Amino acid sequence: MRRRIFGLMMMCVCALAMGLHAQDFKVFDRDVQIHGFASQGFVHTNDNNWLTMETSNFGSGEFTDFGANVSSQITDNFRVGAQIYDRNLGGIGKWYPSLDWAYGQYKFKPWFGIRGGRVKTVLGLYNDTQDLDFLHPFALLPQGIYSVDVRDSTIAHDGGDVFGDIRLGSKWGSLAYTAYAGHRSNSTHGGVAYLEDSDGLAFKSLAGLQYGADLRWQTPLKGLLIGVSRENQDNTNSYVYNSPGGPINISNSDRSDWINQFYGEYAWKKLLLDAEFRRFWDDTGSPGINESQINVHSWYVAGAYRIQKHVQVGSYYSSYWVDFPIGALVPAGTGHSYDKVITGRIDINRFFNVKVEGHFIDGYGYPAVSPLGFYYANNPLGLQNNTKALVVKGGFNF
Amino acid sequence: MSKHFHFVIAVVAVTALLSRDARAGNVKIIANPSVKADSISAEELRSVFLEERSSLGDGSHVEPVISKGGPAHDAFVRQYLGKSDADLQNHYRSLVFTGKGFMPKMVASDTEIAAYVARTRGAIGYVSGETSIEGAKTLAVLEGGSDGGRRLITRVEPIYPSTLHSNHIGGTVRLKVTIAPNGSVEFVELIGGNPILGESAVTAVKKWIYAAGSRTKTEVSIPFDPDRN
Repeated sequence: MRRRIFGLMMMCVCALAMGLHAQDFKVFDRDVQIHGFASQGFVHTNDNNWLTMETSNFGSGEFTDFGANVSSQITDNFRVGAQIYDRNLGGIGKWYPSLDWAYGQYKFKPWFGIRGGRVKTVLGLYNDTQDLDFLHPFALLPQGIYSVDVRDSTIAHDGGDVFGDIRLGSKWGSLAYTAYAGHRSNSTHGGVAYLEDSDGLAFKSLAGLQYGADLRWQTPLKGLLIGVSRENQDNTNSYVYNSPGGPINISNSDRSDWINQFYGEYAWKKLLLDAEFRRFWDDTGSPGINESQINVHSWYVAGAYRIQKHVQVGSYYSSYWVDFPIGALVPAGTGHSYDKVITGRIDINRFFNVKVEGHFIDGYGYPAVSPLGFYYANNPLGLQNNTKALVVKGGFNF
Repeated sequence: MSKHFHFVIAVVAVTALLSRDARAGNVKIIANPSVKADSISAEELRSVFLEERSSLGDGSHVEPVISKGGPAHDAFVRQYLGKSDADLQNHYRSLVFTGKGFMPKMVASDTEIAAYVARTRGAIGYVSGETSIEGAKTLAVLEGGSDGGRRLITRVEPIYPSTLHSNHIGGTVRLKVTIAPNGSVEFVELIGGNPILGESAVTAVKKWIYAAGSRTKTEVSIPFDPDRN
């Protein structure tokens, strides 16, 4: 309850700051900016409960998040900043605030810079901006790639990046690169913890080394961007199994855990098209003893069109498919999720927007290991194959 | 008197016929006098306003200032950044909320941009061709990319035809310039803007001298501001 009050107070502070436009000031003659955002969603589904909310009766409004940051450009090349992020999504988040990012960045040249601290991870088109609802036409990004319940699996790392933009000349466009390494960890209030806790295990941690790179080419064809990302993780999952004989501490380490992601985006006048493909592979445990493998293919194609200054419509189709070469057996007819989405967005002004979105979902992934928002804990009577969902979301930023 | 009157009518008629083109190009890039450069390549301009760089090739510190809206803003964003206003706002927000950049100074009108640029060291902005820019200077935009934009060594300012000046007729003319290997201007073609202003601009640009290099074609925008030139 106190966390909820804290959350509401923070949202009021954000709203007040926006109303006053008091986001720029000087400290020791350096410009300091404060910015924030918040969103509130409502989800109704026909049968299955989704995203750890009780969505299938009247619906659920336990879909709130907000963030606030402060940053300063210390010199031409050096800037520092930090952002907190907090959310409450059904059984996830629970208003526990987290340090979203906090780092210093030094840009030696446009083609070479470094940043260090807690840094949002660049992976595909939207990993680092997936929480920033106001940037996207859709209320929910394709869940097969940007799963809102397990966002913390890839969202940030405590370490460093090298990055830059290389101009290739007017005939060849430009190339932006980011390479990173650091330590990352899942939240104790995230989807993995929720899954393990609902299985009767007591989640302790899922953390380890994360390293990878992203390369994106702004092609000479105006508005066309294509790119590729690679990420490796070396995680250890620690939890407690409460056996009849007493609690047993268990740790499983990754043997191999990687993501390859390929993407493209084309922006032309009022039209925005994008598509991504992600392959995720995870191999955990000891061969012959407790080894398990997870193999995921997911992709989507999306389009959005701004029909007038304040109104945008869009649609996407996303496909998710998981199997387990070693370990769990996927019953026939499960392990997939195909989501057809239509959306409408109204930008009331520069600060406020409202989205109304319909999801027509075939399948629910494999909830015992890879839930994709569908958890048995919220669906004790079992899951129906088809889910229709209405998502209404409003947000503001300043 | 009658002859003069007919000439003005003719000029106004030509200008009206070319008004669509003039609107598209009627934006001038302005900078605080602390910025050493007199010209900027279109690619540099784009990089500065997308916060990919905070200095020009000659080392001058630059800091963008943008407008909340208006015809000059829309034309600038479309012509030089290749984006819509909504796309540009999203670009800045993605930088701000991932810690990679800042929200540039935003003001309400062209007049405020001009005033801010005039008093702020390193400031660079854009205003409509008609806006008075006292205390700031105009930057010529070299439309070629970094490989096409040869460094300008000698710049000769065009003569503003007095009849147009006194009748407050201005705008931006766009030229396609062929630069010879020795740096002299080999050929100039008017590709947009008022033809009378264009003739004056062509005469001046033919006297420009660039750094030596391979033969290059580039585009140049030259603003004629009746309140300043």
